[in-house]
Amino acid sequence: MPRRGPPLALAALVLLGRVVGAQSDPVLRLDAGLATIQQPAIGTVRGRETSDAALLAAFWRRPLERSTLLASGNLTYARDSLAAIQGVAVLSTPWRREPNLRTDVGVAGASFSLRSAGTGGNTNAFVRQQVVRTDDGGWVGGAMGRTRRDGVPSATTAADLGLWRRWRFLYGSASVAYQYSTDWLLLYTTGELDARAEAEYDLVDLQFVLQARGGPHDLTLSWTRRRVFADGPISLPALQGSGTFQLTDRVALLATVGRQLADPMRGLPQADLAMAAVRVSLGPQPLPVMPRAVIAEALVHTEVGTDSSDATMTPRAILEIRVEASDTAAVTVAGSFSQWEPIPLRWEEGVWIARVPIARGTHRLGVRVGSGPWRAPRNLARVRDGFGGESGLLVVP
Amino acid sequence: MRAAGVALVGLMLGAPVTALHAQAPSQAPSQAIALAISDAKTRQAVEREIARAVSRGLPSAPLVAKAMEGITKQAAPDRIRSAVAAQAQRLEQARGLLGPTPSEAELVSGAEALAAGIPTAMLKQVRAAWPAQSVVMPLDVLTELVARGVPPKQALERVVTLMRRGATPVQIAGLGAAVQADVAAGLAPDAALEVRARGVMSLLPSPAAAAALAPSGRRP
Repeated sequence: MPRRGPPLALAALVLLGRVVGAQSDPVLRLDAGLATIQQPAIGTVRGRETSDAALLAAFWRRPLERSTLLASGNLTYARDSLAAIQGVAVLSTPWRREPNLRTDVGVAGASFSLRSAGTGGNTNAFVRQQVVRTDDGGWVGGAMGRTRRDGVPSATTAADLGLWRRWRFLYGSASVAYQYSTDWLLLYTTGELDARAEAEYDLVDLQFVLQARGGPHDLTLSWTRRRVFADGPISLPALQGSGTFQLTDRVALLATVGRQLADPMRGLPQADLAMAAVRVSLGPQPLPVMPRAVIAEALVHTEVGTDSSDATMTPRAILEIRVEASDTAAVTVAGSFSQWEPIPLRWEEGVWIARVPIARGTHRLGVRVGSGPWRAPRNLARVRDGFGGESGLLVVP
Repeated sequence: MRAAGVALVGLMLGAPVTALHAQAPSQAPSQAIALAISDAKTRQAVEREIARAVSRGLPSAPLVAKAMEGITKQAAPDRIRSAVAAQAQRLEQARGLLGPTPSEAELVSGAEALAAGIPTAMLKQVRAAWPAQSVVMPLDVLTELVARGVPPKQALERVVTLMRRGATPVQIAGLGAAVQADVAAGLAPDAALEVRARGVMSLLPSPAAAAALAPSGRRP
C-alpha cells in the first residue's frame, strides 16, 4: 500500500500556533479552512505526494484572578479519512512585582492517525519565561514530550532561547532551539533520515522571523536552518510565509504557505503546505478595524500652577500626548478637552508631543497623523465615537 | 473654520460655551455653520436636534461637543445628525435613571456610560449606592473599566461595593488608574480589577462602620 502524505495535524498545528499567539483578541474564535499538504513519499521510489484536508479550530480565552487561561483545539480531516485532533491549555501569569516578566506554563495533547507516520498520541508539557518590554523582549523555555507511535514509545526534550525587537511596524526575532528525541520513526517516515541510522538524534534549529503589522493585519516570514545530528549531520532549510487580513470586525482571512519541519515534541512530520482559512470571531463585539501602526500614548501629570494669575499655586493636570510618527507628518490631537479643536503636536527629540491642561472628569480624545483616521492612543480604553470610528477614553481624577 | 464652528454652533443654540469662545474669531453665525456643515438640510437638522434637547431641559454643551467631534472628524453630515440625536437620547435616558435631580455632570457621565454599553439598570444601581453624593466619578470609572474589557457585571459589583464601603471618589478613581496600569503591563482587565479592588477595599472601614459614616448631605 503506498504511503500517503498525511500530516494533517501539521496544518492544524500551524493554525493552532496562530490562534494561541494572538492573546488580546476576542474570547472565542473559530477558524475553518482548507489545506494542501505535500510530503516526501517513503518507499522504493522517492517522490512527493499531495493530500487535501479540511481544518476546524477553536480558540478560547478565560481570564482568571491573576492569570489568563488559554485553550484551543483543532480537528483535521482529509479525504482519505486520516484525522488528527489536538488540544492545548496554557496558563499565562504576569509577575506581581515585575510587570515586564511573565511565565507561561502549558500542557498539550494530540491524537493522530497518519498513514506515513503511524497511529498514536502525544502529550507534552512546557514552561516559558518571557521578558516583555515595549520595544523588545526575549524568552527562554523548555519542554518535555512523550509520543506513542504504532505502539512504540519515544521521548523528546527541548530547550529554546530567543530575542525579539520592534522597529515601528516591523517585529523581528531570532531564536535557537535544541531538541533531543528518540522518535526516529518520525524523521525516517518523512524523509529526513534515509534509514534507521540511530535510535536517537539531536536537532538544532536557528530561526529568524520578520513580521509586519498594520492594525489587525499582519504578514510574517520565517526562515529556519535545521541541523540533524544522527548518522552524520544533515542540514535542512525551511521557509514559510503567512498572513492575516481582517475583512470586517468579525471575519478575517488567514493564509500560510511554506515548509513546516518535523516536530518531534508534538509528534508531527515534515511537510510543505498551503493553507487558507476563514476566521470568525464570536463574543463581545470588537471595535472597528483601525490601522494602529502609529504609536500614540496619553499621559496625565499633575503639576503646581506657575501662572502668575495662579496665586494659590494649586495643582493642575496636564495631558501629555506622545506620538511616534514620521518627522515630515503633521500630527494633531483633539478631544472634548479642546472642544474638538485640533491642537498641533511639536517635534521634540524624535517624537511628536503636546502638553495641554486638562480638567477633571471623563474626556474623549483622538490623535491624527496627516490625513489619516483619528485613533485612540494605545494606552487608553477605546470606545466607539458614533461616526464609525473610535475615541480614547480618559478619566482624570 | 473649526474654531468658529465650535463657538457659533454653541452661540446660536444658547449653549454655555464660554470656554469655547476663547479662540473663536468673530464670524457671521450662518457663515460659520455653513462652513462647518455644508449641507443645509443636515445643518438645520442638527440645530433642530440640539434645540429640541434644550427645550426638554437637557444640557446643550455635550450635544454641541458631539457635533463638533463629527465636524472635526469630517464625518458625513447625516452621521453627525444621528450621532447628536443618539447623544440627546442617552442624556434623556440618564436623566431618568439617575433621578430625581441629577447634575449636568452626572447626566454627561451617565450618557457616556450608556454609550459604552453599560446596561440601564446598572446606572440605577450606582445611584442607589450613593443617593446623596455625586456619582460622576463612579460612573466614569465604571465606563472606563467596561471599555477596557471588564465584564459590566463584575465592574459594577466592584465599584458599588467600594461606594457602599465608603470609598472616596479619589479612591475610586485610583482603582481605574491602577487597573489601567495593570492592563498595560499585560494583566487581563477583569483579573486586574479583582486584584486592585481588594487593595482599595483593605483601606476602607467595615461595612457597618461605613454605613454609620455615610454622608447624608445633598450632592453638589
